Amino acid sequence: MKSVTLPEVGENIEKAEVVSVLVSEGDQIEEDQPILEIETDKATLEVPSSASGTVVKLYVKQGDEVEVGQTVADVEESGNAASDKGEEKSEKDDDEKSEKKSDEKSEKKSDEKSEKKSDEKSEKKSDEKKSKPQYGDVFHYELPELGENIEEAEVVGVLVEVGDRVEKEQPLLEIETDKATIEAPSTVAGVVKEILVKKGEKAKVGQLVMKIETSEAPEEEASEEATAEKKSEPTASGTEKKSEPTASGKEEKKSEPTASGKEEKKSEPTAKGFEDGQPPIQEKPAPAAPSVRRLAREIGVDINRVEGSGPGGRISMDDVKAHSKRMNEGRVESGGGGGLAYGIEPVELPDFSKFGEIERTKMPTIRKRTAERLSYAWATIPHVTQHDKADTTELERARKQFGDAVKERGGKLTLTALLVKILGAALKEFPQFNASVDMAERAIIYKKYYNVGVAADTPKGLLVPVLKNVHRKSVVEIAVELTELSKKARDGKLGLDEMQGSCMSISNLGGLGGTYFTPVVNPPEVAILGVSRGAYEPVFIDGEFEARLMTPLSLSYDHRVIDGADAVRFLRWIVEAMENPFKLALEA
Amino acid sequence: MSKTNLVVVGAGPGGYVAAFLAADLGMDVTLVGKDENPGGVCLYRGCIPSKALLHVAKLINESRESAEWGVEFSEPTIDLDKLRSWKNSVVEKLTGGLGQLAKARNVRYIRGTATFLSSTTLKVAKHEGGEEELSFDKAILATGSVIAKIPSLDIASDRLLDSTTALDLPAIPKRLLVIGGGYIGLELGSAYRALGAKVSVVEMTSGLLPGADRDLVTHLAKRIKASFEEVMLETKVVALEEKKNALAVTIEDKKGEKTTKEYDNVLMSIGRKPTTEGLGLEKTDVETDERGWVKVDAQRRTTDANIYAIGDVAGEPMLAHKASHEGKVAVEAIAGEKAVYEPRAIPAVVFTDPELAWAGLSETEAKKRGVKVEVAKFPWAASGRATTLGRSDGVTKLVIDPETERVLGVGVCGPGAGELIAEGALAIEMAATVEDLKMTIHPHPTLSETVMEAADAFFGQSAHYFRPKRK
Repeated sequence: MKSVTLPEVGENIEKAEVVSVLVSEGDQIEEDQPILEIETDKATLEVPSSASGTVVKLYVKQGDEVEVGQTVADVEESGNAASDKGEEKSEKDDDEKSEKKSDEKSEKKSDEKSEKKSDEKSEKKSDEKKSKPQYGDVFHYELPELGENIEEAEVVGVLVEVGDRVEKEQPLLEIETDKATIEAPSTVAGVVKEILVKKGEKAKVGQLVMKIETSEAPEEEASEEATAEKKSEPTASGTEKKSEPTASGKEEKKSEPTASGKEEKKSEPTAKGFEDGQPPIQEKPAPAAPSVRRLAREIGVDINRVEGSGPGGRISMDDVKAHSKRMNEGRVESGGGGGLAYGIEPVELPDFSKFGEIERTKMPTIRKRTAERLSYAWATIPHVTQHDKADTTELERARKQFGDAVKERGGKLTLTALLVKILGAALKEFPQFNASVDMAERAIIYKKYYNVGVAADTPKGLLVPVLKNVHRKSVVEIAVELTELSKKARDGKLGLDEMQGSCMSISNLGGLGGTYFTPVVNPPEVAILGVSRGAYEPVFIDGEFEARLMTPLSLSYDHRVIDGADAVRFLRWIVEAMENPFKLALEA
Repeated sequence: MSKTNLVVVGAGPGGYVAAFLAADLGMDVTLVGKDENPGGVCLYRGCIPSKALLHVAKLINESRESAEWGVEFSEPTIDLDKLRSWKNSVVEKLTGGLGQLAKARNVRYIRGTATFLSSTTLKVAKHEGGEEELSFDKAILATGSVIAKIPSLDIASDRLLDSTTALDLPAIPKRLLVIGGGYIGLELGSAYRALGAKVSVVEMTSGLLPGADRDLVTHLAKRIKASFEEVMLETKVVALEEKKNALAVTIEDKKGEKTTKEYDNVLMSIGRKPTTEGLGLEKTDVETDERGWVKVDAQRRTTDANIYAIGDVAGEPMLAHKASHEGKVAVEAIAGEKAVYEPRAIPAVVFTDPELAWAGLSETEAKKRGVKVEVAKFPWAASGRATTLGRSDGVTKLVIDPETERVLGVGVCGPGAGELIAEGALAIEMAATVEDLKMTIHPHPTLSETVMEAADAFFGQSAHYFRPKRK
């Protein structure tokens, strides 16, 4: 007999609602055969059986809420009883994988991100500060290591002057080796006291080239011995530079489109460079076994924030789970009525039945999630909406002309498909729109990939499938993909990965009518383009009124990172690309 | 154009491990490698053949040392052809095995050279002739590294060896000069020494194995000094010239004085550099840093969302086991898991005699970074097992965080150090405290006891090493 449990269904999802039960007791089922249909925050999924055999008992019925790991059915296994565990389930096809993880992980409690970390963080920071050398030390800046086998290099530019204030990482010198011209960055912040090299001179690696009075200690030196050991510092920083892509969190941020990126970046606090081939040394590496670190990562807990109860502060599985639980409770207490209104107490509702007949239903999961997300967006993003109108007469003609060709390839050439392509190009042109805000770190994350989300009106509610890497796809490819995704969205078959990683979204309500509207930005994106129904209007061209198809556009953006002028430029760019597709061909 | 879920470019210990895991997870995998079978530099031209030769070296050395214990062997006769073919058979056995494992997993192995055409397609120039275009969902770049050379010394001469040609055992030279006192030079130099060559080594810095803790290196340095012809530190080779029967080598010491000496062979072993050229990376969004390493994130994803990079090409340390581990991380990430590359320790082993091995934070590094540590050591002279081997020239040390008493680093010098370091790596990854090592029963009489006794020594309680704890 084997118990079939609800597998891990996705990031931070710990329970789901059973929409339908696809088998009955006594049924003969195969491994991987869907037995339940469940609805999570994000999608409707089918739950496959992890065993073959006869269904002996079903523990859930339609409408039940089940938790990840909860037993949903008992199956009397047929035939080879030897294959008893879920290990062999590894042969599932790829896209299923992210949704269905094997049972062994079922003990996990999923969790939301550590949203309230600021307190702990500031504490940590002040701790670090204490041990650093005092203000006013004169730091000897020596020429850092420039690369393998390079011992000396020519100074082709001195980028600062005596008396200048320099920041850490600010380039001080421009250096030319036989391989490349490199900027040598400062390892400290401070005031330049003396410059010991001139333009055109050669300098050796390790040679003293500048004296800087520090206002902050160099990062490497966090102990009291630091001042005494200053000499070794520049080499160390050189090494750090070398191994930067591996060691520092910076790279991770850049190319981590999934939500998990945020967590992972933080789990590498002050990563230091490699020396003797060893991994980066962390200020305080979280004392946890690899399996414990993995659990934390999977359930969205930052291991560096977990307090260890073991000897030497070692963090156990239980510590991680306890931390996750606390995070959960913390969020519930700090309220916001499940996110429906952040920081605002829900007002008491009147008894509507006094006024007439009513019907009360539970919010479907997707509706709940939408409500939470949009409240959050509305409460945290200073929205501004910019309107404009595009003359899409020619675009519409071309769309009709090429529509059949695209139809043959299985797609529908819609204005949205065209806009996805245009938006991809526009994001490339205007990087501030392809960004996210990290207010906790006071940072802006720029993305180097171009994914566009398209809001879809489905029977289950609002879903936003994402077209990935649109800059590399032709309009036809986009049209085909969009057609597929829209169908999946309507059928409730979208996978989680098909709804993640969007850079900016399009909401096209033109099919339904209306002129302008103010769409709400879908965080962590910073802008959304709303499209309304195009209508023929008289436009004054060359001394005459002509009937032109004018399509209203509404661009809502996050004013924290995007200025009004930029928004106008961005929207004008889009309008021009719509009016003259040749521009797109030229620039995208 | 054929299609594949995952293409792995490069079939070394990073590439084939990644390909095999991906296949085990149900992906459709194509593996592209340069040799007849998977294996890469590690199996064909690196770790494996060199270890075969070093095993022979060890045998020869021990047969000589045993004279002191009353067992005398006559001088060995070396049949170089037979030795070479044995070494080759080791390589063939292991790589052939990998070929079969690939087949068994339905991993398609193509022998050839891959060039990217875009972020989703590549072209393989096949070894058997012809080209094939392949479109992929994801690719893993595991192209490894090539031998670094000093251009001014890279003369065209059969007498100038690199690690690859030296492993071919062309002949046993009378006099061999090794340029570079790093692990490759010392391992190969030791092997040639045991086979009868008079070996000298030139190293630019002030000690052998730069980067490693000096108290570990000292035992090795002593032995190398005794068995090698000459160990020239803070010295560099400035010119090489082919003579009739030798290579004339001009050497400059730290005072700037130049001397010229002649050697039958010169082995250039100054390091390796990542292979990123000729791969068509410019047609993708993959970026490299100024030192040529491919930029990757914690999941080993490059700046191109479809392409991952692992192993030597993705940064230091350039070690097979690090590549394999990264390969697993990359594949798991591709499979949608939240895998991250975040080792606390990557064991490094130098297979000289005695061996050197370390993992985690070294004492040298701790000093350099100003990390406060305490060091506990157990000298092998106090180890019963080491004494029975006639090898008291070793030490086991622990680098400990004084506040939490956690083990941050482990270093071992002595025969078999490479095997012992695994315990150290596990201790560091598990965040073990010194007390954990102290209280774990280690089998007697083995060298592994030195780890436990080093932990005992931290508390001033080592049974076989009397050194009461100060303070």
